[in-house]
Amino acid sequence: MTVLDQFQLEGKVAIVTGSGSNLGREMALALATAGSNIVGVGRRTEPLEETAEMVREKGQEFLSLPTDVTDSSAVHTMVQSAISHFGQIDILINNAGGGGAGRGKTLPELTDEDWHSGMDVNLSSAFFCSRSIIEHMVDHRSGRIINVASGWGYRGGRNQFMYPIAKAGIISLTKCLAMTYARDGIRVSCIAPGAFPHELGPETEVRGQMQAAGRFGFMNEMGPLAVFLASEASEYLSGETVLIDGGAIAAGVTPAGIAPSQ
Amino acid sequence: MFSLEGKHCLVTGAISPLQRAFAVGLAEAGANVSLTTASDNEDQEVMANSILNECWSIGVTGKALKVDLTNEAQLDQKIVELETSIGPIDVLVNATHTAVIKPFLEFSTDEANDLFSNNVQSTLIPTSVIGRKMLARGKGKVINVVSILADRGVPNCAVFSATQGSILGFTRSLGIEWIRQGVTVNALGLGFYSDLPGPQQDDALREILEKYIPVRRLGTSTDLQGTLVYLSSDSSDFVDSEMIVVDGAISVHA
Repeated sequence: MTVLDQFQLEGKVAIVTGSGSNLGREMALALATAGSNIVGVGRRTEPLEETAEMVREKGQEFLSLPTDVTDSSAVHTMVQSAISHFGQIDILINNAGGGGAGRGKTLPELTDEDWHSGMDVNLSSAFFCSRSIIEHMVDHRSGRIINVASGWGYRGGRNQFMYPIAKAGIISLTKCLAMTYARDGIRVSCIAPGAFPHELGPETEVRGQMQAAGRFGFMNEMGPLAVFLASEASEYLSGETVLIDGGAIAAGVTPAGIAPSQ
Repeated sequence: MFSLEGKHCLVTGAISPLQRAFAVGLAEAGANVSLTTASDNEDQEVMANSILNECWSIGVTGKALKVDLTNEAQLDQKIVELETSIGPIDVLVNATHTAVIKPFLEFSTDEANDLFSNNVQSTLIPTSVIGRKMLARGKGKVINVVSILADRGVPNCAVFSATQGSILGFTRSLGIEWIRQGVTVNALGLGFYSDLPGPQQDDALREILEKYIPVRRLGTSTDLQGTLVYLSSDSSDFVDSEMIVVDGAISVHA
């Protein structure tokens, strides 16, 4: 097998949560390009159907399973349906998440619901999906779980609590899953994306210049990293979180673009 | 997505299984691959030719430079010749990776300086000579080999760890300094590899590591090929100042 063959996902099946849009869609498309069939999971049917069309155009199968991933029994049903349709699930990408809960509120204003919602959407979802798929992967003595965290999982947010805390939890979940299931042939890794705006406008380039890299990430840069982590090319890699952020987290102690001379 | 066709990669460091694995991996991905060997070492020259032959039979081209990586003027001259002949270097892989494992107090100043010279200076100086040309062209990638001991404690590894931490720190700041000019700088993080220097070459420790490492085996250099190809490809342009660790999950073991 040459090194490029190691990146192939021919014949594999991947569950991708949050694949109705944005980075989830990018990862589903990239995996499909590498040969994988996709189980697309998201809250709403229409965006999933759009992703479905794009995946099918690449010659791969797409099973659309709209699911509320904060509901553990709905997650369990989703996983069983995926297994029963495809026979074997090789890859789980826990991408579902979002930063909306409690936005704009100070700490004393945050309600219990805001807290639980933030944790559920961003962390419990990944826990539930992993819990539901793991025995299947253990039985097959093979499997990949790729979690999606964020640069926010490394640092403190100002007036931001649930999202950074949950994303740090995702990084920890990655390590615990990797440790626990390594000897069963399962590899677990995590992608921590930096800023990847999905709506580009006239100010995007200007705002991008305030990033460490002088630009935001391009959406299509997300997919190849997912393919790499889902494939044989990363067989000895596990427990690791890979930041794809143009250096934003490595920097960050000073405003971007300032190069001191003393 | 991961093809390196049209790229010229230079893998530095004394000839070792690491260099071979890297060169062959990059060649299989389509890159032209050049190597360095320590000057005045016939065995290395023979090995280098063997690696180059393997690359050429895959269908790519490249050369071996006999050079002291800490001699800036000598290196610059050789790089100019190399780039004229094979083409501009797109990816510099600083693969110097030597280790001396013994109690800190048994190191003489000279021995410690040698380890820094072999690991750190042999990374900084090529990065200066070749990086400068990459910046002038507005594109390039630098990939530094760094052990997980850069930030972990194992007895008898203090000086080695210091060299690795040094390279990691260098990677963090240089990546931020250069990315706006089109050059990224990242680190390839090594766990315990059976065919590379490090504390794992101690038989007693190796036996323990084989059970302790979550995936229950030491790595071999070829395990790094996929990650190296990813980091060398245009697909990783937005990865910067980052270390990707390939270690069978040992560094997440409590």
